[in-house]
Amino acid sequence: MNLTIDVTNKEKITTVSLAGEVDAFTAPKLKETLLPLTKESGQTIEVDLQEVSYMDSTGLGVFISALKSTKEHDTALKLIQMQERVYRLFKITGLTEIMDIDNTVRGGM
Amino acid sequence: MSTLKLDLENYKELMQQYIETQDEQALYQAEQFSKHSMQQNISPEEIINVHVQSLQHLYPDMPEHIRSSLDFLLETMISYGLAYQEYQSLRERQLELKSEISVAANMQKTLLATEKPEIEGLDVGAISIPAKQMNGDYYHFVKDDSGALGVAIADVVGKGVPAALCMSMIKYSMDSFPENRMDPGVILGSLNRVVERNVDSSMFITMFYGLYNINNHTFRFSSAGHEPGYYYDSKQDYFEEIDASGLVLGVSPEATYEQCTKEVHVGDMIIMLTDGVTECRQGDRFIEEDEVLEIIKQYAHLPAQETVEHVYKHFERLQDFQLRDDFTLIILKRKV
Amino acid sequence: MDFQSCVNIKKEWDIVGARQLGRDIARKIGFGTVDQARIATAISELARNIYLYAGTGKICFEAIEDMNHKGLRIVAMDDGPGIKELSQVMEDGFSTSGGLGAGLPGVKRLMDDFDIQSEDGKGTEIKAVKWLR
Repeated sequence: MNLTIDVTNKEKITTVSLAGEVDAFTAPKLKETLLPLTKESGQTIEVDLQEVSYMDSTGLGVFISALKSTKEHDTALKLIQMQERVYRLFKITGLTEIMDIDNTVRGGM
Repeated sequence: MSTLKLDLENYKELMQQYIETQDEQALYQAEQFSKHSMQQNISPEEIINVHVQSLQHLYPDMPEHIRSSLDFLLETMISYGLAYQEYQSLRERQLELKSEISVAANMQKTLLATEKPEIEGLDVGAISIPAKQMNGDYYHFVKDDSGALGVAIADVVGKGVPAALCMSMIKYSMDSFPENRMDPGVILGSLNRVVERNVDSSMFITMFYGLYNINNHTFRFSSAGHEPGYYYDSKQDYFEEIDASGLVLGVSPEATYEQCTKEVHVGDMIIMLTDGVTECRQGDRFIEEDEVLEIIKQYAHLPAQETVEHVYKHFERLQDFQLRDDFTLIILKRKV
Repeated sequence: MDFQSCVNIKKEWDIVGARQLGRDIARKIGFGTVDQARIATAISELARNIYLYAGTGKICFEAIEDMNHKGLRIVAMDDGPGIKELSQVMEDGFSTSGGLGAGLPGVKRLMDDFDIQSEDGKGTEIKAVKWLR
């Protein structure tokens, strides 16, 4: 399974749209794209996960390092449109408590 | 070089035989010849050379342009020969690495070994199987002075060697904690600080820590972002999720861990697992939580160790004997 | 026999010139078709390395003789950036040119003796010998 990553920029908001699965194989590619974005001071990075059907712990690891990086570089990370199965993973790991996750428009499984 | 010359004779005869009879037997011999040549590390350009020489012997007045064309072929084969040699050397190196990893995996087993405790009135079953050689899951039992049993089950992000190295660190931190006071929330808090200081930013660990008090049959537990466990109520034939809120280890030094308590009745079970169990896949389909619990129930009448083994075998078969993730399952069953 | 001939490598076309000269000398020394082809391939790799990574340099050929056999020595020299991680470029599967089996490990396999010296920022000298059997 593949992961496609699409980056669009609108003033202070960079949107990263993902489609596919975030696992041990695709996570390095996501990290390569996401981490540099979190270092551009003043930016808000919105990650759109509507098309992500599966994420494993390696994928979570990428978002954790991105979150740590936003704190160092004064940027913000926001996860939007998360599917139920993926949201469960963020919930169990306690990450929903420390991450900005907009789950109002959660796509169902 | 003498064996090659011998083979030249051999090749020439076989080729002549084939040219005259178009015989399958000769073609079979050709196959043997090529296998033998590979064993002797003979490269493709040498085979072509043997072919050219054989042709010249058999047909001394072979036209010059045919000869040139074969030289041309020989030249184009050189890189294939090199690629083949490289492949051989990489293959050897891969075997070396494999055996090194298996030594490391054995060391890991010894390092992380934990003894399943014998406790009167409590039936304990535990299984942990790595998807690859090295295990990124871990479980640990420890008995304290008062007879309480501490159980840790953990999962490091990722698999393989890095995960295994990280596990060893956890194990040694846990060993260094005082054995007389083991509050699950306190233990997770200390481990969190150790992990936060010592691992890469994208690495984290989930852990469920429980303390079974044998005197009053209560189970106290905390979770660091770990897959929830289950309590099986045998009278009502009902599974209840047991979870306590807490962030995964290694993300934030300030994380605190909620502590919950559950009373355990005779015949009931506490089930702890890793996501290798809950995220089993059958083809492209994920196994639902209910299916996992259904299978556990199916084998629940057996002694706890047999239960966990049967559950593992069930999911191993379901996934065509190819685990995608490390699989760990622990069951504590109150007997009396 | 004790002569030395060199080919300057500046453009890709010079690789062919180096191959041609090397093959002619190899034939004169008495190498057979297979070894001639191997020598030419080794020359290609060396010359391409110069062309790609150093820009310019030269490749020299020398007919040599020790007590019991004759041989051909190829010396590739350049004043390019040099190779920082020698052990890495000599590792199988590392080749930056992307080809399987190519690169310097390939040259080492094609020839009998192989030696490389490189200094960061000063250039590289590679010596390779093929002996006549």
